[in-house]
Amino acid sequence: MTLPLRRRGQLFASHGLTLAMALILFALVAAPLITIAIQTLQPSSGAQAWGDVLASRLSPNLFWRPAANTMLIGLSVAAGCVLLGGFLAWLVVMTDVPGRAAIGFMATLPFMIPSFATALAWGSVFRNGRVGGGGGLLEGLGFAIPDWLSWGILPTILVLIAHYYALAFTVIAAALAAVNGDLIEAAQMTGASRKRILFGIVLPVVTPAIIAGGSLAFAGAVSNFAAPALLGLPVRMQTLSTRLFGMIEIGQTERGFVLAILLICISAVFLGIGNRILSGRRSFATIGGKGAKPRRFALGGGKSLLAVLAWSICFLTTVLPIFLLLAASFAPSSLALFSNWTLHYWIGTSDPAFARGQPGIFHNPQLISALTTTLTLGVVVAFTANLLGILIAVALTRHKVPVLSSLVSQLSFLPMLLPGIAFAAAYIALYGAPIGPLPALYGTKLLLALALTAAMLPFAVQTGRATVAQISGDIDEAARMTGAGFFRRLRAITIPLAARGLVAGLLISFVNIIGDLAITILLFTPTSPLLAVLSYSYASDGFHQFANAVTLVILVISMFATGAATLLRGRRRENIA
Amino acid sequence: MYRIFTPLCALALATTAHAQDLDGLSVEGLLAQAQKEAKVTVYAFTSRIGRVEEAFEAAYPGIDMVTFDMSSTEQIARIKSEAAAGIAGVDVIYISDAPVVLSELASQNLITPYVPPRVAGVLPDQFKSPLLAQRLSTKVLMFNEEAHPDGSPVKNVWDLTKPEWKGRVIMVDPLQRGDYLDLMTEFVLRSDDMAKAYEDAFGRAIDLADGIDNAGQQFIADLFANDLVLVGSTDDVNKAIGAKGQQNPPIGFTSYSDRRDNEDEGWALQVANNVKPSNGIVFPAFLGLNPKTSNPAAARLAVDFMMGDNSETGGDGFKPFYVAGDWPTRTDLTPHPDAIPLADFNGWQIDPAQTVTIRADVADFILALQ
Repeated sequence: MTLPLRRRGQLFASHGLTLAMALILFALVAAPLITIAIQTLQPSSGAQAWGDVLASRLSPNLFWRPAANTMLIGLSVAAGCVLLGGFLAWLVVMTDVPGRAAIGFMATLPFMIPSFATALAWGSVFRNGRVGGGGGLLEGLGFAIPDWLSWGILPTILVLIAHYYALAFTVIAAALAAVNGDLIEAAQMTGASRKRILFGIVLPVVTPAIIAGGSLAFAGAVSNFAAPALLGLPVRMQTLSTRLFGMIEIGQTERGFVLAILLICISAVFLGIGNRILSGRRSFATIGGKGAKPRRFALGGGKSLLAVLAWSICFLTTVLPIFLLLAASFAPSSLALFSNWTLHYWIGTSDPAFARGQPGIFHNPQLISALTTTLTLGVVVAFTANLLGILIAVALTRHKVPVLSSLVSQLSFLPMLLPGIAFAAAYIALYGAPIGPLPALYGTKLLLALALTAAMLPFAVQTGRATVAQISGDIDEAARMTGAGFFRRLRAITIPLAARGLVAGLLISFVNIIGDLAITILLFTPTSPLLAVLSYSYASDGFHQFANAVTLVILVISMFATGAATLLRGRRRENIA
Repeated sequence: MYRIFTPLCALALATTAHAQDLDGLSVEGLLAQAQKEAKVTVYAFTSRIGRVEEAFEAAYPGIDMVTFDMSSTEQIARIKSEAAAGIAGVDVIYISDAPVVLSELASQNLITPYVPPRVAGVLPDQFKSPLLAQRLSTKVLMFNEEAHPDGSPVKNVWDLTKPEWKGRVIMVDPLQRGDYLDLMTEFVLRSDDMAKAYEDAFGRAIDLADGIDNAGQQFIADLFANDLVLVGSTDDVNKAIGAKGQQNPPIGFTSYSDRRDNEDEGWALQVANNVKPSNGIVFPAFLGLNPKTSNPAAARLAVDFMMGDNSETGGDGFKPFYVAGDWPTRTDLTPHPDAIPLADFNGWQIDPAQTVTIRADVADFILALQ
């Protein structure tokens, strides 16, 4: 059965992009995972590992209980993040709440604070005597803190919400900002109530963003390692990621890989539902070629109450942890955060009597090289991942191909479910050895860049999708009919209109890369470590002040990045207006 | 191309042929070739390697020592990956986690032993084979000496399973850190001693519960049942036990040598030595070579340097490791004045070859408990 030539050309034009993306995703995401899957299918050890995990006297503790905890955490964090992030996004974008710009800036910050820092901050306030060393701030004030508030699932959920709501905020705010002002104006003129506008116009339009934000938070929460490890362990709460880490740590790699595969499966099922909702509806297109600036609601009586609420959320999740981190980088003893402050950990020279002779971080020759490597890697990977992200988003929304599209969609989201450490292990398993004529990539920056690009794809694709999905197909259609090629359309229509979403995507990826530890710890090139690796190696040697100082360096860079992005966005808006 | 290729081949052949001969050379004999190689890369499981690097470069100008501080687990993953990728990334490997090193690296010939002839005569055989042990470290019972000025509140490890210590025994999750799994494994390996100690503690013979095979397992099960507190790192354990100003501090297993931080950190850590049947484990830190090393002479020189010089305390090469709570394996070095001598120390010295036989089973046993 031969197709007419013209028909075949059309088919390629519509399928080519999707196919190309599928191939790239195969190399970046599927191939490493297939490699570990094959390793768990080795007849002897692999089969044994599957049996141990799923059906043995060990499985309740190895899999079922951790899996239940993981699901509970994932769902609660997703719900909490959408509520918190959505609430703040609504306040900032749609209302006249005082200090909107500052709230908007602060609401993106929590994501830049590594989750282990937030978890430590929680501990410094809420910990009780269970792990000795005296309690936290509240116990110091004479309150008795019960275990359930100090340790375990509740603190883990709260810390992760405080960390990931920034994701939901960024995605939802970008979508809200793109809500066509004309629609709201029209509704207001015809006398629709505020509630009606919210539920009738705004919510349906931002549904993709809400689902995307919730999905990102869910996926981030189920694969997070730091928070459950720090807060769950003292009451022996395990999640799949802490179990997985433990299995790899004590050399039971097959069991670790089996857990990784199961974690992926569980999350994929759940997120597949979200994906289905997203791709099943075509009616999200709301950005036409022109549109008025978004309308703002006057808040009226509840204004100050809502403002106080928003400010408290921002304060508790940004200022407070940063402040505690800063104090901890000055205090010689972690038990007395506010006494005997010194700058030694930042600028001191080596003194054998102090901190075992470690000089301050700015005297560590590795800091500068780590700084350069981190920034270069951050920029290169952020751009690559987001370019791929927008291409994938376009392929998914404009060139739907049965099976292939859903494959692309699933593959692009997979890395999110993978604990970084398992992902890195998979990369080593596949690209660590030469493949045919290709040399081994182990120990090169290229491997690190590839793995990080793959890891950032979920963010890039989700933010890209939420934006692209809203760009009306009409303009693209019109351009195509007047003969504009694919790349021309991408450059002249998609990218400019998606700029706001793209900036958000770039920002999230950049910040995520420079703070990433899980992947880099296994793949960094020994000749040039990264900032996060440096911070970790300080921390693992018990030099917490130095580790906090390096974390703050990462934080400052992230804040500059966010500030720059905010400025950029502001200018763009003026240009458009 | 051909012209470059031939000398490279010749060099490769020469390197292999000379590896055996190099083992017998003295420092002076190694030096000329080491200076030609001009570089040596070290993976080490301790940050103290930074000070070794400084001292080495001062002692042997012209030979650049490049050091990387990473945990034993990371090193093992990295060494395996590098071998698979055919890269000789490291020359000298300084690593703990003996059971895994022996079963996964040494058995695959990914790490090769080298004993510098200069110190071979002052090392007991057990520390020369299968790999060279540079020093001994510990995971032992420590308490807060401020709260217990009269010495350890625990005289028998079985006390830890009694109600008065419920929720107040702390250690790192043995399913996340190899050292602690080795400790648990040792309790099982020493089940006979554990059974005797039980009689001392409770005045009757031990009665094993269903599904439990020996006294060691029973101890682990009872310890977990007594609301054992697990944390993620040794530093957390130190802080919990050692922090001053506590009314009723916990007790737990950590490194004896971490006492050296008492002053810096405001801790009151002290080792509980008089404990029946033992206070924990003593295990080796290995020094070995990458069999594919491209700097074979410089690598051997570095190992020689890290074993310490001929002075009483081992000189600059050993200085970072000359601390109370770590014991040199060399018999000719003067013991650290502040430390309990190894001969009087109550910890069990692990036999990595024995440990590895049941380590995975013990891990499964613990997994079923938590």
